[in-house]
Amino acid sequence: MGEIREQFLADLKKAASAKEIEQVRIRYLGRKGTITLLAKNTDFSKLTPEQKRDFGRQLNELKALAETEIAQALEAAKAREAAAPAAVLAALDRTLPGTGHSVGCIHPIALVQMELEDIFQGMGFMVLTGPEVEREYYNFDALNIPSDHPARDMQDTYWLTNGMLLRTHTSAIQVRAMERFGAPLRAIFPGRCFRYEAIDASHENTFYQLEGLMVDEGISVANLIAVMKALLSQIFHRDVTVRLRPGFFPFVEPGFELDAQCLLCGGKGCSTCKGSGWIELIPCGLVHPRVLEFGRIDTSKYSGFAFGLGLTRLAMMKFGIPDIRLMNSGDIRFYEQFPAAV
Amino acid sequence: MTAWDFGFRSSKSGFRLLNRLVGPPAPGNETQDHFTDNEDELVKISLDWISDFVDLSGLDPATIADRLTLCTAEVEGFEVLRRCVEGVVIGEVTAVEPLAGNLRLATVDAGSRPYATVCGAPNLRVGMKAAFAPPGTTLAGGMRIEATEVGGRRSEGVLCSAMELGMSRWHEVLLECPASLANGAPLAAQVPAEDVILEIDNKSLTHRPDLWGHYGIARELAAIFGRELRPLPTANLSPYDHLPAFPLTVEDFENCPCYACLELRVPPGLPSPLAMQRRLHALGQRTFNLLVDVTNYVMLELAQPTHAFDGDLVRAIRVAPMGRAGAFTTLDGQERQMLPDDLLIWNQTEPVALAGIMGGLASEVRPDTRRLLLESANFKAARIRRTSVRLDLRTDSAQRFEKSQPPANVKTAIARILRLIQEAGAQPEVTSRLTVAGDLKDHFRPLVMPRTLLHALAGKEIADDEVTRILTALGFQARFDAAGQLRVGIPPHRSEKDISIPADIVEEVLRVYGYGRIEPRMPSVAMRPLHVERPLRREHKARRLLAQGHGFIEVQNYGWFDEAWLGQLGFTPQRALVLKNPSAQQNRLLRTTLIPNLLALVGRNRVHRDSFRLFEIGRVYSAADDGASIEGTRLGGVSFHQMHQPTLEEHFRAVRGVIEDLGRVLSCGALRFESSAADPIPLPSADACETGEKKPPGDVPWQVPHYFVSVTCNGKQVGSLGALSGKILETVAPDGQVLWFELDLEALDGPIYPELKYQAPPIYPGSWQDFSLVWDLTQGFAALESRLDAFSHPLVMRREFLYVYKGKGLPPGKGSYSFRYWLGAWDRTLTSEQIDAFRDAFLAFLQSEGIALRG
Repeated sequence: MGEIREQFLADLKKAASAKEIEQVRIRYLGRKGTITLLAKNTDFSKLTPEQKRDFGRQLNELKALAETEIAQALEAAKAREAAAPAAVLAALDRTLPGTGHSVGCIHPIALVQMELEDIFQGMGFMVLTGPEVEREYYNFDALNIPSDHPARDMQDTYWLTNGMLLRTHTSAIQVRAMERFGAPLRAIFPGRCFRYEAIDASHENTFYQLEGLMVDEGISVANLIAVMKALLSQIFHRDVTVRLRPGFFPFVEPGFELDAQCLLCGGKGCSTCKGSGWIELIPCGLVHPRVLEFGRIDTSKYSGFAFGLGLTRLAMMKFGIPDIRLMNSGDIRFYEQFPAAV
Repeated sequence: MTAWDFGFRSSKSGFRLLNRLVGPPAPGNETQDHFTDNEDELVKISLDWISDFVDLSGLDPATIADRLTLCTAEVEGFEVLRRCVEGVVIGEVTAVEPLAGNLRLATVDAGSRPYATVCGAPNLRVGMKAAFAPPGTTLAGGMRIEATEVGGRRSEGVLCSAMELGMSRWHEVLLECPASLANGAPLAAQVPAEDVILEIDNKSLTHRPDLWGHYGIARELAAIFGRELRPLPTANLSPYDHLPAFPLTVEDFENCPCYACLELRVPPGLPSPLAMQRRLHALGQRTFNLLVDVTNYVMLELAQPTHAFDGDLVRAIRVAPMGRAGAFTTLDGQERQMLPDDLLIWNQTEPVALAGIMGGLASEVRPDTRRLLLESANFKAARIRRTSVRLDLRTDSAQRFEKSQPPANVKTAIARILRLIQEAGAQPEVTSRLTVAGDLKDHFRPLVMPRTLLHALAGKEIADDEVTRILTALGFQARFDAAGQLRVGIPPHRSEKDISIPADIVEEVLRVYGYGRIEPRMPSVAMRPLHVERPLRREHKARRLLAQGHGFIEVQNYGWFDEAWLGQLGFTPQRALVLKNPSAQQNRLLRTTLIPNLLALVGRNRVHRDSFRLFEIGRVYSAADDGASIEGTRLGGVSFHQMHQPTLEEHFRAVRGVIEDLGRVLSCGALRFESSAADPIPLPSADACETGEKKPPGDVPWQVPHYFVSVTCNGKQVGSLGALSGKILETVAPDGQVLWFELDLEALDGPIYPELKYQAPPIYPGSWQDFSLVWDLTQGFAALESRLDAFSHPLVMRREFLYVYKGKGLPPGKGSYSFRYWLGAWDRTLTSEQIDAFRDAFLAFLQSEGIALRG
């Protein structure tokens, strides 16, 4: 019996898989198994009662040992196999892509608008909106744009049969904001504007602007430059070199064009900045005293600056969109490129 | 190969390839008088001309262009004009012999010896002096001149047009030179080999009428570079004050605030001095003779347009409106239709010029004109603009008056013209005194402002002497008084529209001082909480929910309808606002709802994707009773699937789920979905929400009966949601599933950061019981729910709908609706007896209602 025991343990040790262990079990404990047949093949008539007792005891011990060992080995083998990479992979393929996606897309102009709102709210600017169908008063007269100004013709402005117009710039909200909040005031006005234009790759009749206005005591050109630089460094995530040069708009005096040094070539000249080293970005200036007066602001106490950002153009620059018509194109292959990541 | 070089510094659009070389002028441009061809977006400035007034030595063109851009106006670019004058001499034509066709053989005395040359130019005549290129010279285009045979005759050298000399592209006539120049004298002494032409975007000069001439630019450059500005040489007109006045009447001072004229006799047909000709050519102008060229020259020098009449044909001047409709022929030969309001210049009997725009054909200066009447006047910008735009006559003269030219140079221009005519050796005889009607306004205008205001607006203290230096260089009078006030005299050449308030003075000082020298400084402000606009936050909340939580794609459509598409849909908008000048006839109506434009996108995009969800947040517009506008912000959306995946009902429930989520996120109150079996629900228009007005049925084709619901909040209708079916589905997306919805975002008002009260869950664990009820599919879920609402039991915490099953194993026409009843008590754990009691009660209820359980 000792031999069988040793042999059994050796065989069991050799068995690796559950299948092999099962074979060992059959070989020893099966119907025709060695241990099973031990009792059968023993002639008990030749044994003394003491020998019979011993044999019985040893046989039981052997059987118990075998069953225990086999059970343990089987459990361990099964656990091992279940944990084997291939087995797991079959039950849980963790390399498959995720499901339940619910993130769609936000319009690129809205993305840029939300970014700018964050930047400006971070500097204490309100975000205000105004009507797109606007009165001539707010769009022109209150901005010191006289009635014989070219912009008032059919050429540039969409006029409605009821005498109102589609606003040509978000500047139309300036005086509304001043009437509503008075001074001091700082706010941005994002919104849609309309100009009667022939549409091509860089001109649209429907586009977005973001106007900014700050009215307070002692507002100066130095303040305007600083705020614009801060804005641009937030938008482009680095320090931006700017230059201010004269520009004329009836609602600011002095008026400027603020150019940013071309980020691609560092001012040396390239195709993006058309060789000049500068990108014309932000028309701006100190608010014209007449406009402050229309807003019922005391010009002896307050001054202000105003600026206009082309939101559509900024979105085109930021995302490398070559054709402005894509913005209103309705083409899903355009819109779906902009994940709702803000 | 070109004779032109290019150098560029542009901050605007495009690498401007300026190709103004060979080729005849465009038809219609053959005449004189204030025309520039095709490049009327640019003001051209010749640095050669400027150097008459400012010493530019040591300054390269790029620096000049740069500083001018930073201090004055945007210089788009510049070109170096290289002329071919080496070896070319002055030649006198002593004989002319006709040959075949229009060719003639000219004998030219070029100082050293005579030359015979074949020439086809129409203005060739005996006695004239011209530019002659002897054999061995090289002209424009690399053309080398050798002796040749032309028409069987030996031809040595070439009599030149401006084009051959590289002066411009004009090649039809010979460049005629003044008789005072010696035969054989080198042309290079009169016409330098190089000039630099700056090109200034005229949009950046809109507000600076004084810069539409070289003297104004010279003044700017003198101030910018700190150099002396030389005065403009003019003739003294006072010696003629004893002469009779010219008969002049101005009847419309509103549109012609000032008019001056001078009459003089001059010998006809004299050529202009070469200094004048070379500069006119460099700017793309043609030259003819002294009398014609000099008015053009002075306009480009002083920005003051003048006009010369044939003094024998115009014996009196009356400035008055047309007064009636009628025809008038301008000197380009075109007959124009005048309106009564147009301003004309009249002689004794009839109109002789379109004031400020163009002269008339009948009275123009001809080669044999001996008596000249010079007009120099000031016209109101709006009047000139209206007429010139209507007639599409955007002449150089009109462009300048449209910029509100001040009258400062009215008198100066005449004095300058006279001086130039005198300097050309023409010995003019003035026959009238300078006759002026109206206000010349050639005085300084006072303005006082505190020094502190300048510093405050600049954000920097600028030294007094720097301020006065700059202002003085720009032509202002300026001094600081003891009280700290800056006392300014605004010069007459700066119009009232341009300079009238202290902020204008600040701009003058700072721009020349250099904006780049102002150190940026962030403003210091008093801190206070920020006001937040709810409507905008609502938009962003809605946008994020749809785009981040439900896979929608945001689109933007135009603010107007496409009426052709509306016709296909069968929709007639009510109370839409109408554009007077739409981009296209079918885009006249402003959109009253977002849905039609969104539906158009379905067909367009189904070729690319077989399912998608689009949304738009935008304004809709409608007309109020009094015609004024009502504007609202809407959220609209469409969801599209190809047929069969998933079912229409699943699709509908999914989109409804999005709207239900929206209600939760906007915290506006519970959204309810009411289905009406009968009438279409009115569009949520801005006024419908206020007045509850119902529109007549059949108005809204996408609200297909039994396929849509109206969305309400707190009893008010806030939107609708539906599926397309039938004819409209065929139009929009045949064989597809299309769902649409539109919500009035303003009506979904709720707090941005909602408050709520926490409710502790029951301490004692509860239980739940599920029931599957068999119900008629044709009666619908809502009907079943309202029946169940009649059952109440103290143990019921809430009832939850799980799902509906419509498959096999059910009686025909029936569905199985599964509900979960959540049970619990606040004061104890439920016992199984209590649960059983509940079951019994509920089952009894069902039985009494005749509702069977699924077997």
